[in-house]
Amino acid sequence: MSIRLKNIWFRYPGMDKWVLENISYEFKEKNIYVIVGPNGSGKTTLFKIASLIYKPLKGSVFTWDRDFWRLKDKEALILRRKIVYVHEKPVLLHGSVLCNIAYGLMIRGYSKEDAFRKARDYMNELGLTYLLDKNVNMLSAGEAQLVSLVRALILEPRMIFLDEPLAHIDIEKRKIVLDLIYRLKEGAGIAIATHDIYLAYMLADEAILVENGKIKIMEREDLFHNMMLRHKQLNTLV
Amino acid sequence: MDILNEILDITIRSLWVSGSATIISSLWSILLAYKLSRSPGASRYIIPFFEALIGIPTVLIGLLLYMILSSRGPLGLFRLLYTPYAIILGQAILITPLITSICYRVLSSSWNTYGELAYTLGASEKQIMAIVLRESIPGVIAASVMGFSRAIGELGIALMVGGNIRGFTRVLTTAIALEVSKGEFEIAVVLGAILIVLVVAISFSLRILRRMYRV
Repeated sequence: MSIRLKNIWFRYPGMDKWVLENISYEFKEKNIYVIVGPNGSGKTTLFKIASLIYKPLKGSVFTWDRDFWRLKDKEALILRRKIVYVHEKPVLLHGSVLCNIAYGLMIRGYSKEDAFRKARDYMNELGLTYLLDKNVNMLSAGEAQLVSLVRALILEPRMIFLDEPLAHIDIEKRKIVLDLIYRLKEGAGIAIATHDIYLAYMLADEAILVENGKIKIMEREDLFHNMMLRHKQLNTLV
Repeated sequence: MDILNEILDITIRSLWVSGSATIISSLWSILLAYKLSRSPGASRYIIPFFEALIGIPTVLIGLLLYMILSSRGPLGLFRLLYTPYAIILGQAILITPLITSICYRVLSSSWNTYGELAYTLGASEKQIMAIVLRESIPGVIAASVMGFSRAIGELGIALMVGGNIRGFTRVLTTAIALEVSKGEFEIAVVLGAILIVLVVAISFSLRILRRMYRV
């Protein structure tokens, strides 16, 4: 049960340079993958291809052993609903936090009452009830990111791609997110793109370095040393 | 009192003619813009063409419609020439490139943000379209207001296919032209002032509506 990328090539329209070159990799359930790499290295593009948002120019994406981009709309929708991508900059719909959390449930066929009830129960369980009736315009950056994460996690996806999930979140709320991630790991695969060394070290079952359009699979310790080295180099420059 | 009644009659007619044209044009322009926002080549070829059409002279549309709607034209059997419906049709065509190109920008940007979000949360094509349109309401309203301002202020179409018939197809702009040609500048200025007040008032009310939507 996995998402398998096979010989993926991708570049954006109007650009000559390939963002990803001949990438093959498999994201499996019940694993945490940490993806690191410099800005602009292709981490987000890799995530958007694996989460079925972008169609690769060459290569195939197999979702649970089925070639996704050859599927009919109905079959594709069923598979899409097992995978969620959470943006680095939180994207929230206009309205209340409750409406945002319930949105994904409603598009899956929940009635408004059931979706709202489930959203309230979920937020209550996380101790975030105080956010529910807030308008999204009134949220801080950290709260917005938290809402964006909860909105994805409530859908209980089989595979989730988190792009810099803790970037704006304070220490106190990080614990909530980490607990959620560990809980989700019991039934799902999780891929996290991050620049946070400690988060990467703490969470990674498998680590991937994305650089110059290519990927390199690394041991957790190697990843940690690689990131530490980069930080040291940066500090020397400063 | 008669003049006041006539001015009121002309003002109400202008509002419903241009309002109807804006509603009709907005309906097809928004759908067209959404389709174009999902077409990869639209920004390179189709949208520049629409943008070029924004400045098309109103008399040219008037002339083309005159030929189409006249009794010998292909749509002559509908007897629309010199009716308010001919003006509505002409104004709707006039503002289509304007509303479409603005809505295209709004919807493209909205799709990249909200469309992608809805997609990854598992929305179907219809659900994605619904959320993208919902999140684009302020921009779409702005486009329609611009279209309305252009429609209510145009003269060529109203004159050529409306005929400026008193009590039937006379609207603010054709009435102003008529009063100036008669040398009745005072009435023309009053009508001009009404036109400006209408455009500004509608623009401000919709601005307030947009702000209310954002909160």
